[in-house]
Amino acid sequence: MRSSILRSPSRWILSALLVSSLAPPGDARATDARQIAATLCAACHGPDGNSTDPSYPKIAGMDRDYLARQLKYYASGQRRNEIMSGIVATVEEADYLPLAAYFSSQKPLPGKVEDARLAEIGKQLYADGNAETGVPACAGCHQSNGAGNARFPRLAGQHQAYTLQQLGEYKTGRRAADRLMVTVGQRLSADEMKALAEYIAGL
Amino acid sequence: MGMVKDCCMALGLMLACSGVFADDAAVWIGIKDAAWNEMYPERIEAMRAKGDALRGESEFVICQGCHRAGAVGRADGSYPRLAGQHVSVLIKQMADVQTERRYNPKMQPFIHLHEILPQHVADIAAYLHGLPVPPTQGQGSGDKLEHGRLLYEKDCAACHGNRGAGSDEKFYPRVSGQHFKYLLRESQTIRDGKRRNANPVMVKVIKNYTDDDIAAVADFMSRLPVRP
Repeated sequence: MRSSILRSPSRWILSALLVSSLAPPGDARATDARQIAATLCAACHGPDGNSTDPSYPKIAGMDRDYLARQLKYYASGQRRNEIMSGIVATVEEADYLPLAAYFSSQKPLPGKVEDARLAEIGKQLYADGNAETGVPACAGCHQSNGAGNARFPRLAGQHQAYTLQQLGEYKTGRRAADRLMVTVGQRLSADEMKALAEYIAGL
Repeated sequence: MGMVKDCCMALGLMLACSGVFADDAAVWIGIKDAAWNEMYPERIEAMRAKGDALRGESEFVICQGCHRAGAVGRADGSYPRLAGQHVSVLIKQMADVQTERRYNPKMQPFIHLHEILPQHVADIAAYLHGLPVPPTQGQGSGDKLEHGRLLYEKDCAACHGNRGAGSDEKFYPRVSGQHFKYLLRESQTIRDGKRRNANPVMVKVIKNYTDDDIAAVADFMSRLPVRP
């Protein structure tokens, strides 16, 4: 029930407004956010959120509210990652939104397709799903260009390795804050995941 | 009695989770013998709610990965067209899938009560009903249209209407504008007693239809004008 409330778009808007109004006034938090980004986040995610190590996600240009929500999930244990959980624990909750806003405002750099043939298979799956196994088209929620929004994250240009790892975590249920994606992960084959990750990198 | 039902549901759930989408309700032992037009809390709540088409449009994004943008469905019959369908029919079918009165393991996780509340069902139905119905639905071979017409007029028109418009008041679906392959599959499923939320009157009427009869009627229906 709780997650269905979270999923209602009108509630999203409401909670986004609520969160914004709770954010501290002025530029102090924004300055803090830049400092926190430089000291705590940059080593893995890059100073502008365009990580170079494919095991860490690119977060530049992702929706602010989506990013802030992930920080909350790490803090509450709904999302688990040894590195992130430890780091988020040192960040004040009031800094989540300014920090998310900082990375959201950075320009995302494109990824690189390494296997064009595989990406072509991924393209079909991304645009149309797999009706036989009940995999919906990714484009349905994440949009055809992978830009995403507050509810469904940006995927475009993401490192293959990271996309693949997250799809794997949905499949096993390790990442389960979004039940729909758990279903999608369970229905995707390993080959389909690879093809999707390849295509998404080139979006 | 309640415990028996719970056990049946648990087993049904296990089967549904096994990832096999065999179109065989013989293995499905969830809610048995649900009355086709049964009223139950989730459905009543959705029927009483005031549907908001604008909210429905944003809820529908999680559906369009399969039913496609504009809910036009797919000509291969894998996912039906929903655009223009009656609100009462959409609510019944969504709530029936949600509560496992209609067996659809592919769709079930996406409309689970964790995701979609009765208010959302009403919103989505309002949105879908107002969508245009483009004349692009898949059609059959056209070989036996006269046979299809005769069967339709004899057995189907009384409920689904001379032009396939159905009835919002009576929960009868509009069949015009629907994809041939979807009409074909569902008619067979209903004839074979495998669609658990089917109207028993219809099951009886088409019980002795051959596959050819069903194909002929489905083809005829897929060619009915999209606007009555």
